[in-house]
Amino acid sequence: MMAEAKRQEQIAQFALERAKKLGCDDVSIVCSLSNENQVRFANNSITLVNSVRNLTLDVYLSVAKKRILGSTYNPTERGIERFLENLVRSCRALPESEDYVPLPKGPFTYNPQHANYDPNVVDAPFVEYAREAVDTSLSAGAVRASGSLNSDSTDLYIVTSAGASGSDKVSQILLNIRAFADDNSSGHGLSCSSYLSGFQPAKAGERAGNYAKRSLNSKPIMEGEYNIVFSPTVVANIIPVASSASAFAIESGNSFLTDKLGQKIAVEPLDVHDYGVFELGLGGRVFDDEGVPTRVNHILEHGIFKTMLHNSSTAKKFGQERSTGNAGIFAPRAATIVFSHGDSSLDEMIRETKDGLFITNNWYTRYQNIRAGSYSTVPRDAAFRIESGEIKEPISGFRISDSVPRQLENIRLIGREREWIKWWEVSTPTLAPAMMISSVRVTRAVGS
Amino acid sequence: MAENSDLVSLAVDLARQGGCEYSEARFQRTTDLTCFLRNGAPEPAAVSDAEGIGVRVIFEGALAFGATNLVSRETVKDLVARIVKNARRASEGLKDKVKFSREKTHTANWGVDEKKKLEDIQAETLISFLKEVDKSIPPSVSDVTFPNRNLIAFTSVDEKQYENSDGSKISGRIPRVGYLGMLTGLYEGKPSTVTVPPGYSGLGGTGGWELIEDLELTSLVPSQLKGITRGIRATARPPNDEALSVILGPNVAGLTSHESCGHPGEADRILGREGAQAGESFLKADKLGMQIGSEEAFVSDDPTIPNSMGFYLYDDEGVKARKRRLITAGKFTEFLQNRATAEIFGVESNGSSRAVQFDREPIIRMGNTFIEPGDWNFEEMLKETKKGVYIKSFMEWNIDDKRLNQRYVGLEAYRIENGELKETVKDPVFEITTPKYWSSIDARASDLQFTCGTCGKGDPMQGAPVFIGAPHIRLSGVRVGAR
Repeated sequence: MMAEAKRQEQIAQFALERAKKLGCDDVSIVCSLSNENQVRFANNSITLVNSVRNLTLDVYLSVAKKRILGSTYNPTERGIERFLENLVRSCRALPESEDYVPLPKGPFTYNPQHANYDPNVVDAPFVEYAREAVDTSLSAGAVRASGSLNSDSTDLYIVTSAGASGSDKVSQILLNIRAFADDNSSGHGLSCSSYLSGFQPAKAGERAGNYAKRSLNSKPIMEGEYNIVFSPTVVANIIPVASSASAFAIESGNSFLTDKLGQKIAVEPLDVHDYGVFELGLGGRVFDDEGVPTRVNHILEHGIFKTMLHNSSTAKKFGQERSTGNAGIFAPRAATIVFSHGDSSLDEMIRETKDGLFITNNWYTRYQNIRAGSYSTVPRDAAFRIESGEIKEPISGFRISDSVPRQLENIRLIGREREWIKWWEVSTPTLAPAMMISSVRVTRAVGS
Repeated sequence: MAENSDLVSLAVDLARQGGCEYSEARFQRTTDLTCFLRNGAPEPAAVSDAEGIGVRVIFEGALAFGATNLVSRETVKDLVARIVKNARRASEGLKDKVKFSREKTHTANWGVDEKKKLEDIQAETLISFLKEVDKSIPPSVSDVTFPNRNLIAFTSVDEKQYENSDGSKISGRIPRVGYLGMLTGLYEGKPSTVTVPPGYSGLGGTGGWELIEDLELTSLVPSQLKGITRGIRATARPPNDEALSVILGPNVAGLTSHESCGHPGEADRILGREGAQAGESFLKADKLGMQIGSEEAFVSDDPTIPNSMGFYLYDDEGVKARKRRLITAGKFTEFLQNRATAEIFGVESNGSSRAVQFDREPIIRMGNTFIEPGDWNFEEMLKETKKGVYIKSFMEWNIDDKRLNQRYVGLEAYRIENGELKETVKDPVFEITTPKYWSSIDARASDLQFTCGTCGKGDPMQGAPVFIGAPHIRLSGVRVGAR
């Protein structure tokens, strides 16, 4: 591993020096070594084992206030030279960028020394873990299960022309399992961790199998407004506060938070933070793509939109002194999204909801009007009626059709327990609680 | 590319020597250039050069894939050894063993003609083009202003060198160009995000830069904004009758062919292989021939349409591409197959397997999916519609993961009364089950139109370039709701 780290540093330094010789004013080089393992399974059987190792270079450079980004998978000296020569040639032909600012001046100190990382993850017995998850789902009542298990690690090295340099490493082991009790009854389970010690494939399998069994013989429901308890998996998808807080989304007009900085947009108990690295959490990064140390950004505090996520260019444009450590040079982005927790257990939330719905998973969230936040999403896997404060019959065949601003004001309960979520529908690691939101609009399709 | 053919052969041979009953290797280089213009000012251009080798093997019925961008004889040896080891590990106690269908082998070198070669098109050309499009957007259209204008243009060249242990050796080159536009329309202080064309669609295809020039976007975009702004300004609620006729524009109907016919007809979904991600299908393996729709329902997928965004002549399993007739007169007549599913279904693969980059496994994908044109025209349809809604374009849509329960929310839409278009209606919601949808079609016009899309599937996610298309169609006895 030491040899690999040294190699990354040498490649990045070579690229930096070469770019400077070609006349670049600003250069940022991020060299990534990724090692991804995956096992996929369906109908209780392994369908594919995947193994991908890549060493790549992400480059940002400017010449006379002209800016360009590049990514190459050819990290040989000749390949880098050719790539940079083309990139600089293209850059020189571009118009000056109105948004140009010099790269933030380093050196920087990065603390912690690296993101959430466990060296054991990449060599984890992932095939055996997948089998364990399938077996527990079957024991819990499912008849078949499908899913994927990823065990990945990435080593990063950054160097910039402004004096920043450093390394980082991150690991993750992710299980996404969907268990079926019959073709119309399914349950979903996730286990997402950066550490083997926090990875619980059996628990995820059991949850998926249990939900699948309880979903048998689901019934349709009427259209209307319902009080709905959403699982952490759903909350992480339908409350897009962090992605909407990116200055890029706001400046593009593609965010419901446009023109809302400093305003109360959600109920008072809700906080949403962006952590560079959440200790003992999932993923994260110690530096951004400009070499700036990542940090904790209080996006939403007591329901008030407090902080927009910036790189150095958007920070200047919005009159801020400095970047928030969220570059993406093209678009600022959150590293880890953390929702505040409340004081209710899931059982208490169900009890207090009295009459409503409980939705465990969703997919296919799409917007009619991103700026207004009006959207719909399709519940999938287990969903239930709540009657007299208890989970009752399973339900299916409906859709949530509402707006994000309306829902943020209608949050009534926030769960005490939070779960790490990262899967097909949630790409940024998110620590989310369950939530009860009142008067959520529900529709259903016509036809049999 | 040619310099890597020895390594591709080496990978195939090493896997066979390692005991695999099947192996294939693909060296793929994908060169992308993307430019983004916001309110007339360029954001940093982005250049990506992804290249490497992907290898897939079957060992005692276990399928394994691996890839690396570190391409040398030594790394290829390491890669193959790792993949074979993984496959061997997975084969222990494996229940459902993978076997590929027997297919004709091919030696071929195919590509797409470019009058204006994309390798000669630089970022400044894309930015100049986007600036022209931006200038063509009027300050206001019918009192709707456009405070946010986000325009994207891209070029992409995909080069592949493929070989398998059956004896196929195929080289392919696919140049692609495309445009996307997203605007905020502001009317009476209320912002609406819209895309031009609507429905998050793009325009472009496979070929040279001439494809973009031929689109004449400086005329097309302002023209489309006239209709889109009617949707933004609309205030009337759509009619709330239970039994209406709905005319769908090509923008909307095209997507229905992709979402509620193409996806459920993917054989890997039918067999449950995408269960935890993109989902399964309401169709079962024995449902070929099942009547799903009216005699007017015809849907095809054809990757061989020249200059289409989903164009290819050989898939990433070495199978020759051809047109697939998915629904014929209301019956499902063909599913999309790769070699693994074809073996299970007892058919030949119809060449549906694609990978979007060297480090992604080939999976079943649509190419260009569309509702076949009929012999009506829009005016005739309208004239013969007593009460209904014309949904010309849309923004929001989604569908459940079995592809049974779908929804499209109109952007530009009108109430129809006695054969005439009346007032525009706001956000009509067309939410319908798949059997009801295909059963309700009673007319298809001849005006087939295509737009570009990126189809998401797989884990890791693979966004595949596709065309989606349809003519105007009419459905009768259906319901429209309001947002």
